[in-house]
Amino acid sequence: MAIADMNRGIPQLPERRFKLPVIIALMYTALLVVAPLLAITWGALSSGIYATLREITSPDALHALKLTLILALAASALNALLGLVTAWVLVRHDFPGRAFLNALVDLPFAISPVIAGLMLILLFGRQGWLKALPDALGIQMVFAWPGMLLATVFVSLPFVVREVMPVLRHLGTEQEEVAYTLGATYWQTFWNVTLPAIRWGFLYGISLTFARALGEFGAVLVVSGGVSGMTETATLFIFRSMDDRNYAAAYSMALVLALASFCALILIELTKGKIRRRG
Amino acid sequence: MSIILNDVSKKFGNHVVVDRLALEIRDGEFFVLLGASGSGKSTILRMIAGLSYPDEGKILIHEADMTYAPVQQRGIGFVFQNYSIFSHMTVAENIEFGLRIRRMPRPSRVRRIEELLEMVGLAGLGNRMPAQLSGGQQQRVALARALAHQPKVLLLDEPFGALDVKIRARLRRTLREVQRKLRVTTILVTHDQEEAFELGDRIGVLDRGRLQGTGEPEEIYRCPRSDFVATFLGGGNLLSGQPVAASGLFGSVLPVPEEHRREEGQGVNLFFRPEHVCLDKERPLDGRPILGKGVIVEQVFAGSLRRVHVRLPRLPGCRQLAPRPNFGQEDWILEGELPSDLPFESGEYWVSLRQWSFLAPPRPRLLTFDNKASEGVAHLSMAQWLGSRIEGNVTVLRNRKEHESDEKVRAEVQSRLAEAGLQGATVLLPQGKSSEVLLREQASNTYNFLLLSRPKQEAKLSHLGITRMLTRMLEGAEVPLLIMPAEFRPIRRILVCTAAGEPGKNDVKLGAWVARRTDASVTLLHVLAPHTNDASARRHISNAASTLESLDIPVETKLVESFNRVEAILMETSRGDFDLLVLGGHGPHSSSFFRPEDITLQVLKRVNRPVLVVPAQEEV
Repeated sequence: MAIADMNRGIPQLPERRFKLPVIIALMYTALLVVAPLLAITWGALSSGIYATLREITSPDALHALKLTLILALAASALNALLGLVTAWVLVRHDFPGRAFLNALVDLPFAISPVIAGLMLILLFGRQGWLKALPDALGIQMVFAWPGMLLATVFVSLPFVVREVMPVLRHLGTEQEEVAYTLGATYWQTFWNVTLPAIRWGFLYGISLTFARALGEFGAVLVVSGGVSGMTETATLFIFRSMDDRNYAAAYSMALVLALASFCALILIELTKGKIRRRG
Repeated sequence: MSIILNDVSKKFGNHVVVDRLALEIRDGEFFVLLGASGSGKSTILRMIAGLSYPDEGKILIHEADMTYAPVQQRGIGFVFQNYSIFSHMTVAENIEFGLRIRRMPRPSRVRRIEELLEMVGLAGLGNRMPAQLSGGQQQRVALARALAHQPKVLLLDEPFGALDVKIRARLRRTLREVQRKLRVTTILVTHDQEEAFELGDRIGVLDRGRLQGTGEPEEIYRCPRSDFVATFLGGGNLLSGQPVAASGLFGSVLPVPEEHRREEGQGVNLFFRPEHVCLDKERPLDGRPILGKGVIVEQVFAGSLRRVHVRLPRLPGCRQLAPRPNFGQEDWILEGELPSDLPFESGEYWVSLRQWSFLAPPRPRLLTFDNKASEGVAHLSMAQWLGSRIEGNVTVLRNRKEHESDEKVRAEVQSRLAEAGLQGATVLLPQGKSSEVLLREQASNTYNFLLLSRPKQEAKLSHLGITRMLTRMLEGAEVPLLIMPAEFRPIRRILVCTAAGEPGKNDVKLGAWVARRTDASVTLLHVLAPHTNDASARRHISNAASTLESLDIPVETKLVESFNRVEAILMETSRGDFDLLVLGGHGPHSSSFFRPEDITLQVLKRVNRPVLVVPAQEEV
């Protein structure tokens, strides 16, 4: 009786045993995730660590890495800002077409990145509808980094919106209203109350955006034209190296990308834990 | 005066949430706004805070017009029901927030935080995170935070609603102490009357956006000035009746004071609390008014006392309003109390009163729509006739086009009113579409009836085969609709069709309400499919009949077997030459709109008599 009372309220851990579903889940992840990772590592290091280092420090590879990093950072920054505004509008405002906008946000997930790239070409290409716009600004859109950035922003657009929306909705408006009654202006309230309350969800959305932007291939391939040393990102570099049968270069770059994604993943998991603890 | 609300109104869509509210709150006063959920009490608080703005009226805080001032400038403290603590800040940081915004220097901020933590009983907990605090403690933080910047006014929106009873009591004490110490003008909104009695210097009782009465707790409990305040605060028994003309006695038992005997036949309501009902085994001889001999039908042990329900025969010419009588109930069932330390004895008791008060019943209100297009004034004549029978106030509404001047239309309406003998009516001339202004008006006021004339035949018809205006009203009105034909005649015989739509209790009750005031007779009609023996229908009819009989209304019941309900109702109408048909409708909240095959609609289209359509949810 006394022991039962003591145990009440303590969440019971499941029994520690290998049951069939556990085995299936383990096999599945091992086959689809761990094995390819190992294969990549093996492939990269098979001709020696120096060969790997040499490959990824070649000018083309370094340029590709630099471009990828800049694109991913820029896309994350843009989507963080605009995603936050969109999430805010979708949660806090009611206007005709709200449901439509809400559905539209998911579109980049539903559309194949290749098609997304194609759409950008159709818009900004030689006979594109909006070609006048970049021309007027003196920017080359297609086969240049602005187009690639736009493509990356497009494919990673939903993450911040979708992560921030539920946190914002859960937060409600009362804390903000309290801040107003205490004399805070709208800006002060946003910086001191709203943003801190949604920061973990916001960061999680940004990390997802960053990870997605790092690995983006299809849309960027279509838009960039993949000129090595110019518009070639890390994923395009891998693709070209494979084509050239330069496997060492391909595997080495793949390993670097995989490691970067792995680090982003760890970051994501850490922020997720914060969300769970802090609500 | 600290806060003055001057005829403040607020609508959400078509729904009036706060209706011409006038209120004055004194300096340093603790005022409690008491009302059920949906009575508009939180909306009022939010308007004072500046989190919402009124549509009409003015709000003054310390002599300054603050009606549309931004919330930041009002100098108020606000506490929400759900604490709304900033979860990423410590307790001290939460309290500090308002001071930091005001750029108070750090040393004085620290001193002030310590002071406030001490005051709300959280000394030493400044470094805790909100998640480490209980609900009661969080609400203490919210209170300290709201008081930190020394606001002139403290507003609390159901601050104890989310807490359990014991913590609630402790927190209430803290709040009272803090308020006494700081003498900050405070308004608290609650639905809990115990809270209102304990905390309030004064209480305001709110019902559907209207202030029903204000006063000190004892005063408002002992001498309520309206039926609503009387029954909402503490509950009790409310009987309605007419003093017997010769003796001036209520139910030939209680003398009615002079001020309630204004006119011959004027009704009056008698109110008494359960604790003022005396129950004795022997007939009391000390001259207390005796209501009769009753039997205890229910008893509930409630600690120091025993709550009982006593059934006793009703007194002549009186009926029970509260506790709300059950459908089909003939006797009175009144609430009383017995001390619980005595053993409970069943059997008969003499029921007498120790204390009671008389209340003037609210006058019924009748709204009618006058349209230029309708040639006749039958609906105005009916409004006049019915208005005088029910001792009610009549309001006439006519929608005015933009180019029409108020005076011109008013003169025209007045001449039509004179024709119908309705000179005393209130005339409203809003601008807008007829059905819209009418729907808005019936929703904004507590009308008992909406009287419409049946429009001319050549008017444009809706998909239901009646005019669009009538369609909109049938679908949208929340009050019973009385639809008049071209000719007026007084109501002597009423046919209540319980078979149309849902067999409702409301159509029976409303039929009875009209019959009692017009001295009409009632026939209850129920149409059954042939060869069915519907026991529940029979029971319903007999319950309905006894409800009517208990009100001294001559009643007849009729069960007709027919496959065609519409034909049966029409046949019965012409056979009995009835002056009014009462039918059930859907009411405004029903998801199903009227369909062309609806019985009420079919009857309405074909009969040439006044029809009273009762919305399904309307309580009479």
